[in-house]
This record gives sequence, C-alpha cells and structure tokens, in this order.
Amino acid sequence: MKRPIVLLLAAVVLLPLLVRPAIATEIWIFAIFGLGLNLLLGYTGMLSFGQSTFFGSAAYVSGWLLKHYAINVFLALGIGVGVGAASAALVGYLCVQRSGLYFIMLTFALNQLFYFTAYQWTSVTGGEDGMPGIPRPALAGIDFTDPLVYYCFVAALFLVALWIMRRIVESPLGRILQAIRENAVRAEAVGYDVPRFKLLAFVIGGAFSGLAGVLYAMLFGIVPLEAIGFVFSGNVLFATLIGGSGSLYGPVIGSFVFIWLSESVSTLWARWPLLLGVAFVIVVLFLRGGVVEAWSRFWTWRSSKPKA
Amino acid sequence: MLYALMGLGLSLITGILNIPNFAHGALFAVGAYLLASAAVAIGNFWIALLVAPLGVALLGLVIEYAGIRRLYAAGHDYQLLFTFGLALILSEAIILIWGPVGYSYLPPQALRGGLDLGFTFYPKYRLFVMVMAGLLVLATWLFLEKTRYGAIMRAGIENKEMVSLLGIDIHKMFTVAFALGAYLAGIAGALTVPIRGVNPGMGVDMLGIAFVVVALGGLGNLLGAIAAGLLIGVAQALVAGYWTEASTVVIYAVMAAVLLVRPQGLFGIR
Repeated sequence: MKRPIVLLLAAVVLLPLLVRPAIATEIWIFAIFGLGLNLLLGYTGMLSFGQSTFFGSAAYVSGWLLKHYAINVFLALGIGVGVGAASAALVGYLCVQRSGLYFIMLTFALNQLFYFTAYQWTSVTGGEDGMPGIPRPALAGIDFTDPLVYYCFVAALFLVALWIMRRIVESPLGRILQAIRENAVRAEAVGYDVPRFKLLAFVIGGAFSGLAGVLYAMLFGIVPLEAIGFVFSGNVLFATLIGGSGSLYGPVIGSFVFIWLSESVSTLWARWPLLLGVAFVIVVLFLRGGVVEAWSRFWTWRSSKPKA
Repeated sequence: MLYALMGLGLSLITGILNIPNFAHGALFAVGAYLLASAAVAIGNFWIALLVAPLGVALLGLVIEYAGIRRLYAAGHDYQLLFTFGLALILSEAIILIWGPVGYSYLPPQALRGGLDLGFTFYPKYRLFVMVMAGLLVLATWLFLEKTRYGAIMRAGIENKEMVSLLGIDIHKMFTVAFALGAYLAGIAGALTVPIRGVNPGMGVDMLGIAFVVVALGGLGNLLGAIAAGLLIGVAQALVAGYWTEASTVVIYAVMAAVLLVRPQGLFGIR
C-alpha cells in the first residue's frame, strides 16, 4: 500500500532531472486529466470520448480571464474547475440517459459542438491560431515563470488531486459507482438513482479535466484549438487504457508512456500522428490490458525461455 | 441526403457489428480522394464513380478481416481506440499521398450548369447527387427489407446469438456489413467531390455528422437515418443562409435540442 506512494514521490523528484521541466510538467497535467477520465471509464464504466470538451472549455475561460483581467492563479484554477464541472453537467445531462454505443457517440458529438463553437468564435478563441498570451502571474512573491517552480506547483497539485481521487473512489460514493459499473440494473434495483450518480461522476471527472486544462494553458501560454478537439479526447483515453483503467495509478503510468511516446515521435517526423495511430492499433491488437500486463507477460516469456 | 447515406453506412456498421466506428469519416475521405485520383487518371468521371467506392469497400474488407475481427470480444474502449488509431493512420496517409492542401474537381460536362425549375435555379450536379443518394438509400432499404440476406442482417442487429445458433456464419455477415457500410461511406465521399472538392479535414467533419445522424435516428434504423439526415441537412441549409459561421455548430445544436425533448432519439423506443 505504501510502495506506490514512495515510488510516486521519487518520480516527482527525479522527473525534472531526466527530462525538460516543460515535459515533466505536461506529464503530471495529463495525469490529472487521466484521473478524471478514469473515474468515468474505470470506476463507473462510462466510456466518454469527449473529455477535451471540459479540458478545453476551462482552458479558454480561465485563459481569457487571466489574459484580460489578470486574475489570481488560484482564482483561475477555481474557475477552471468550475467551468469543467459546469460543462460536464450540461453534456452529462444529455448523455447519461443513454448507455453503451449511444453514450460514446453523444459525448463525441457534443465534443464536436464545443470544438466548432471555439473554431468559429475567433474574436475570443482565436479560432485555428489558438488563444495566445496567457500569463503565469506570480503568487505571494513566488515567480511561476520559472519552469522549475511551475513544475513543483503542478506536481503538488497533482498529488492533491490524486489524494482527492483516492478519497472519492474509496468512499461510499466510489463503491456505488463501482456497483453501477458491475451491474447497473442491480444497482438501480437496490435503490440507487443510477443516472444521478452517473451524472455526479461525470461532473467530478469534468472538474479534474478543467483543472488540467487551466494548468495546460498556463504551461504553454496558449490555448491551442486542439485542446478542445476530439484527438485530445482520444489521447487521454489511450493514456488511461495503456496504463490500465480501473486502477488508481493506471492513468499516471499511462500519461508517462503517452507523453514520452508523443514527444519522441513528434521530433522524428512531421506526420507523427500516423505513428501514434500505429501505436494505438498495435496496443489494441497485441497489448490489451496495458503496460502492467505487458510487463508481467514479458517476464513469463523470459522465464519460460530455455536457458542457453 | 448525403448525410443520410453516411449515417446509414455507419448505422449498419455500429448496429450489426456493435462497435463504435471512428474510422467512418476517414473512409469517406478515402472515397473522395480515390474518386479525384481515378477521375484524373482514367479521364472518366463515371468509371471513377464506380471504382472508387469499391476500393473503399475493399479497404473496409481488409480492416474488418485483419483487425476488427479480433476485437469483438474486447470492450468498446479498445474497439474505439482501434478505429480511432485507424482514422489517424488513414488521414495522415491521405496527407502523405495527396498533400496537405485540398483541391477542387469539376463535375462531368453533362452535369455542369444549372437547371431552371421554374421557381428556383438549381445546379444540375446537386440534383444528380440527390437522385443518386436517394437511389442508394432505396437500394439499401430493398436489400435489407426484401432479400433473404438483408433479413438475416436485420436479425443480427436484434439478436446476434440467436442468428449464429441458427447456423448462419455470423463472422461472414460482419465482414459483409462492414464492407457495405464502407462502400456507402466511400460513395458518399466520391459524390461530394465535385461539390466541395477534397481536403484532409473532410473526414473528421463528416464523422461528427454521421454520429449525429445515428444518435438521432437509432442504430440500424434505416428510416431514422434518413429522417435525421434530412433534418440536419435542412437545418444546416436554413442557418447557412442567414448566419454562415454557425452552420456547422447548428448540426450539433439541433441534436442537443432533439435529445432534450426526446432522450431516446427520433424513433427510439428506449
């Protein structure tokens, strides 16, 4: 029980020594994003293909306020969480009444609604060019423009987010959500209002996405249009699945793998999404069950080999 | 009408195979690019229109046989990731082969110009597309409703286990359904080329629309796909006349509005 936490703390300390602080920061931001999706996918059994809706909306709103009204960092984060939760409540209200394939399609289609709104509303969002010039205001004398300071801030927020998520999944609420995942009809029969709990999970997931979105906007100083696009939703899904959904630390491992993978292939070739697509296909066809399972399979394969 | 065609193909795939096909938009785009290339290479639009969708159907056949077939037992999450990965590969492949810049292609000589309908002036090619799409939808309907294999497919949407218990090779049916859905996406793509030209982003735009049509019309529901396709097409055309910027957003807004009133979709029972 204690071991993952020790490992995690070691990773937090070591990561900026190994990779550029911007990439290290991005990993933790993506991990927060993944935590939100994992609550839906891994714990409640809802496959949302529209998580970037909440990520992007929060990034745009908070980014805009940061840029034009120079608001405080914590206020920006709070607003981002609020926007993420509110947009998730709107989308969730329409989606939780359906399940299975319809649920996936609806989350995707509503993601497109937000995407095209951002795409066309150029006076605010900058359309295809993105919304640049988002500052990282200092807080109580701490200068966040230093990449390493900002890294520490994000890493600390990630640990807080992880702690909150652990509290949620181990709480009675978390157990109810898992009951819905295992058997929605039975959960309903026992007396739980399933759509309401699904909506609640959706809103919490949206709040985590919103937090990640604002941190992302402040990291790069820009909200790119891609931040609200469906490829982003797919990426976080990939990260969550490859790490192993349904376990608390799965998305954390997944975001390591994903950011590392995309950073390394994006420098190789301008058409790197092709390689990413190939990676998705390979993982699905041969490595289902995520990194954890692949690792254990690798060890059984090694130990089964006759010693030469 | 094109929207109905797209939605119909996706509806078949999603309904029968029970997988979320996020590569459907990419298949549409491949159909469009294949037509553009074939028409230039052969020099005849009509032959190209025949060949291009068949190429897409063949691609669909390969995709189902090599990939999706292994994933029926896996969850929707992995199926989604797989088709999403395919969509990325196909759209990047399009950029690699045909370049990132789109171009336009003129309709064949016989269909250029407009037709005076008395009350309005309408481009001939658009009329042709409407008739073609209508015929294709009708043909699909006849196939599903009036032929033996169509009946088996509809039974497959209702209850797969029962169909396979009756001694029908359900895997072969899945392959056929996927190829048919891919064919419909491909021909929809091919037909749009003289209207909108080709560009690498066309697949993603169409993917969203196709999903809206299916979400509103219902899985495997032919009538629903047609009605939803028409509804969206008309709404978009009306809005485009007054407020061009909002014409893409309106598709999704209409969907959200319909779902607010009828969460089960246009014809859904539950």
